[in-house]
Amino acid sequence: MIEQFMGLLFALGEQTGLASITAGNIIMIIVGGLLVYLALSKKYEPFLLLGIGFSCIVSNVPGSDLTAPGGLFYYAFQGVEMVIIPPLIFLGVGAMTDFGPMISRPSLMILGAAAHAGIFIAIILAKMTGEFSIAEAGAIGIIGGADGPMAIFVTMKLAPHLLPQIAVAAYSYMALMPLIQPPVMKLLTSKAERSIVMKQVRPVSRLERIAFPFIIAIIVNLLLPPVAPLITMLMLGNMLREVLLVERLANTAANDLMNVITITLTVAVGSTMAADRFLTYKTMLIIGLGLIAFLGGTASGVIGAKIMNVFLKEKINPLVGSAGIASVPIAARVAHVVALKENPYNFLIMHAMGPNLAGVFGTAISGGILLALITH
Amino acid sequence: MDLIPMKVPDTMEGAIILSLIDFFLSLVIIYGISLILHIFPLLNKLGKISDEELKGGH
Repeated sequence: MIEQFMGLLFALGEQTGLASITAGNIIMIIVGGLLVYLALSKKYEPFLLLGIGFSCIVSNVPGSDLTAPGGLFYYAFQGVEMVIIPPLIFLGVGAMTDFGPMISRPSLMILGAAAHAGIFIAIILAKMTGEFSIAEAGAIGIIGGADGPMAIFVTMKLAPHLLPQIAVAAYSYMALMPLIQPPVMKLLTSKAERSIVMKQVRPVSRLERIAFPFIIAIIVNLLLPPVAPLITMLMLGNMLREVLLVERLANTAANDLMNVITITLTVAVGSTMAADRFLTYKTMLIIGLGLIAFLGGTASGVIGAKIMNVFLKEKINPLVGSAGIASVPIAARVAHVVALKENPYNFLIMHAMGPNLAGVFGTAISGGILLALITH
Repeated sequence: MDLIPMKVPDTMEGAIILSLIDFFLSLVIIYGISLILHIFPLLNKLGKISDEELKGGH
């Protein structure tokens, strides 16, 4: 009787995850907990980190098979693997974004490319370590584009096995930009430069706003077919917003659809953070290279703005250069806050939004060129 | 001279060439887009679209 009882208990125990939990699982559960902690207590990108952290924790509890073929998280990941989710995120971003600041001052657009030197510094350093192929180095470099969906898109094309590390690095550093960027910005600028007040920009007409998505979609898709799905959806979302006629569609893309896709994306990314894939030497390297990419991008953006000032009669505040790294609108907000500390009446946010929005195109263009050159 | 499409070599040199081409082309393409945006105000000569009319048109 007792033997039977114990036998049944043992059989039950075998079915639970307790029998197969590893030290790696426990470490990853702590990592997931840390992401949740950062979201809850520090308010760092809670929309992203909560879902990623939660699904990281759950996916590392063995036994549930949530991430195995047939499991719920497995299907969420199919949206990433088939590269459906990143373009849908871009649709929502387009429907949410006012490109007016970029259209009204196109001269600052070049900062959206200048602030991407970090991508290339990371590519070269990744190759220098001898641990990564050129495709893997390209995927790591795109972390410096500070654009989550673009990082996922490029990684899925170049090095899908590195998705968990790259997605987590990209989203975590985007969340930590208020800590990462200011020291670099202060180091490279003087107090006088940070205090420069910029001239008000011109208003943008409805006709210009409506023409913008059509023209940009044609140009970028013509020149960079590899990133056509992303830019097409970004511009479709923006067109829905700017025509004013289909408010319901624009609102759905910007709110309800965006929320559904965000939940699916965060669950999918978190579910890839399995201990055996994540706890490796390469992960440490990728996290380090990602940070260098962010620092390098911030620095090159500021330096780009300072170089522009050599030629401009009307000087620009070099802090806006740092916003060219993308990560809309976090980087623009960081530039604004740093400028505000020097002069409480200097509202830089709208000026920084121009390069910030250009940074989205800068990342897309860099990513498109990487895909075209590496995968052709 | 016949030019043939080449693949980026999986070497340190390849990474440097890839980075230089990508950075240079990014600057050129972004600058090209900014030039097009510079002429956007000319669109306003075609006429004006009223926000109120658009909102009330559906």
